[in-house]
Amino acid sequence: MGKFLNAALGIVIALFIGALIMLAQGYDPLASYAALFQFSLGSPYALATTLKNAVPLVLTGLSAAIAFASGPVNLGQPGQLIMGALAATVGGLYLDLPPWLMIPVLALLAMAGGALWSGLAALLRQAFQMSEFIVTLMLNIIADYFALWVITGPLKDATAYSPMTPPIARSGWLPEFGDWNSAIFWMLAAVALMWFLYNRTRAGYEWRMGGQNSLFARLGGCPVNRNFVLVMLLTGALAGLAGGLLIMGGPHRFLRGLGANYAWDGVMIAIVANNSIIGTLFYGLFFSAIQTGALGMELITDVPSEIALVLQGVLVLVIVASREALHKVADRLAVRRRAADAAKNERAVAQEIERG
Amino acid sequence: MTDHPSPLAPDLIRMRAIVKVYPPNVLALDDVTVSFDDGEIHALVGENGAGKSTLMKVLYGLIHQDGGEILYQDRSVRFRTPGEAIAAGIGMVHQEIVLVNEYTVWENIVLGAEPVDWLGRIDETRSRQQVQAIIDQFHFDLDPDAQVDDISVAARQKVEILKLLYRKVSVLILDEPTAVLTPQEIPQLFAELRELRDEGHTIIFISHRLEEVLALSDRVTVLRKGRLVATVPAAGTTRAELAELMVGREVLFTSRRTPQEPGEVVFAVAGLRYEDGRGRVRLKDVTLQVRAGELVGVAGVEGNGQFELVNAITGLLKPTAGTIEVAGEDVTAAPVLERRRHIAYVPQDRGRMGGSLPASVVENAIMTHHRLNAELVRWRGLLLDNGAARRFTDRLAEAFAVSMPSRSSPLRSLSGGNQQKVILGRELLLDSPFILLDQPTRGLDVGSIEYVHDQMLAMRGAGRALLMISANLEEIFMLADRIVVLHRGEIVADVPVEQASIEQIGRYMLEGNDATL
Repeated sequence: MGKFLNAALGIVIALFIGALIMLAQGYDPLASYAALFQFSLGSPYALATTLKNAVPLVLTGLSAAIAFASGPVNLGQPGQLIMGALAATVGGLYLDLPPWLMIPVLALLAMAGGALWSGLAALLRQAFQMSEFIVTLMLNIIADYFALWVITGPLKDATAYSPMTPPIARSGWLPEFGDWNSAIFWMLAAVALMWFLYNRTRAGYEWRMGGQNSLFARLGGCPVNRNFVLVMLLTGALAGLAGGLLIMGGPHRFLRGLGANYAWDGVMIAIVANNSIIGTLFYGLFFSAIQTGALGMELITDVPSEIALVLQGVLVLVIVASREALHKVADRLAVRRRAADAAKNERAVAQEIERG
Repeated sequence: MTDHPSPLAPDLIRMRAIVKVYPPNVLALDDVTVSFDDGEIHALVGENGAGKSTLMKVLYGLIHQDGGEILYQDRSVRFRTPGEAIAAGIGMVHQEIVLVNEYTVWENIVLGAEPVDWLGRIDETRSRQQVQAIIDQFHFDLDPDAQVDDISVAARQKVEILKLLYRKVSVLILDEPTAVLTPQEIPQLFAELRELRDEGHTIIFISHRLEEVLALSDRVTVLRKGRLVATVPAAGTTRAELAELMVGREVLFTSRRTPQEPGEVVFAVAGLRYEDGRGRVRLKDVTLQVRAGELVGVAGVEGNGQFELVNAITGLLKPTAGTIEVAGEDVTAAPVLERRRHIAYVPQDRGRMGGSLPASVVENAIMTHHRLNAELVRWRGLLLDNGAARRFTDRLAEAFAVSMPSRSSPLRSLSGGNQQKVILGRELLLDSPFILLDQPTRGLDVGSIEYVHDQMLAMRGAGRALLMISANLEEIFMLADRIVVLHRGEIVADVPVEQASIEQIGRYMLEGNDATL
């Protein structure tokens, strides 16, 4: 209940602040918001686009949420996404299997690419006690430039004018059903699977407990080191899958600057969702709606699409701040109730005594 | 209901109907009314969690009451910070001594209130003179030029008191001042406190050592579970009467065990040694056995190797030398889970080691069982059986009389006693032959303590081997078959309880092998 209140309150306040900013700049906020939601949710095509754009946000968000809730500070989603995309691209360039086999194989390659990158950080942590926090951040930069080298060097499309690979085999393209790209189903399946893994399996229980109190989990007999590695591999695979689906569902080739901001948005979404899996899906869709709608809004109003970034920033701050504030308010109410109860008992006892 | 103080009553401080709630629902002080006279030594007694320290922190401005008011010199006051309290003449010495070790005694005393010359430089001559003057005035035996590093704990405590006297404080609150002292140092502190009272200071003295309270104070206020029980004159009150007020019924400081012949050795450590990262020896050749149906109590002043011994047994630290055997299996180098097949463990810190406060009661209840109890999992241990986990929790809650809002409430929402029951129940239901308990009753109310003790004795009766670490000698004497004393990482005594006296064990705790009997 509190969560919904928090989300609803946060979104309303963020939209209100966004409206004030637009007003201050001389735009009409109501018309702008109408356009924004028209182009993100207002038609089946808009909705399908919003959902498709949500795929990398939700998957990297899931990666961050599961990592943070289980303990490991995996901030390597950008690098893992790139490595996953690269692995899927390489597979798509050199393999040619029938689609029913090709698509799962490329998805698996993408997950393996992401897991390789997060696994490296996990290995360094296990072997040398290097903090995964800094290692994953550094690996992001390495992945970035490694990908740049690959698409300007060995895999450069000789016919193109900017750095990119040739397109992958057609059998690896994700099928579209009308406006609906099948990447959406991969995303929904991943959310459902992760929810099940996290809430219904023994491993998920241990990850949760380890994330809340690792000493308790360790003393309780949970294999905390193994769980650390498993969570790193799993969350790397999720970010890698985001990269793979980006290639297979979109441009079908690795372009320079691919997925530049998705992964950081994913980390932000996990924080806003307080590492909840369902919350990550919800906020991922909402962020995607704002980003998608902003592009449409720019077409028919004078408001620049960058307003989406402002809205996102305000939303993050408002929701995180109001979460803390709601806790405080709840605590204070509880205190007042308890104090009132005590006073009431006191009066009752006093009256008893007076009556004899 | 309200008693009207006579106009002549020399109340210096009157705390009226003080209520303090710790969120979400712990009622730490429930309508406490107490007054402190000018120039008296007033003891505040009660068990852990009775609200003594909370009440004093409210007075001192460290925390704020949710109800009630404080009258000081007949004016209503509300100190927002300890600084305001000190400025008004009320100071508190906490249990932990906080001094700058590298500074001298006088430097520590003037720190923060230094006399300065016109350039703002500290006037050393004047500082030293002022400090010396206070030391002389109250006949404290202290060298103002000694470095704090080099002086005893008792002397450091005097420095803390002098810091307040230097700031012209007339009301001194002392939180368990004798807890850090050796028995030999206590009389001197008391003499100095009496001297202070005779000079017109008011002293509020928090303690749970009843003999000391009766020896030192003029009046005694007893708190129980956050409520005022009584304020009585110390003269003419006996220790047993005080204990009864504190606990709410007559208490017997006697053994609660029934005689029982112990069985075979279940738990054995031999030659256990541990050196920390800096090469200091924390455990020195510790050898110890516990038999089936036997409860061994480990006594010792905190920080004498208890922490390391417990962590070596649970596997959190790797001993430098020695072996640990449970149920015939050498677990010295075994992973935690392997140990937990034979060891039930009730840690001293519920929120940090015993459970996860934000997790539900169910999630807390099934820890370790989720690995050892096949009933709780399906599909070869891949899936948790949530239905079985709920049934298990219900069984635990019923068997151990846990009172909770619901199974799915966070552990945090339970009272301390009920949290401990969840943890204790979880561990005892493991059916391990060996049970390790580290301060199992710390911070619990009296009823819960008795409950935990009953469960421990039942386990002893069922033939389990129990090892209990406790800072409370009375608890050890009440429950244990054998008492082991740890002093500087070494076992300096291992005696059957029938042959031990509290005084003798106390000497071992303080003086180790040098204790003369």
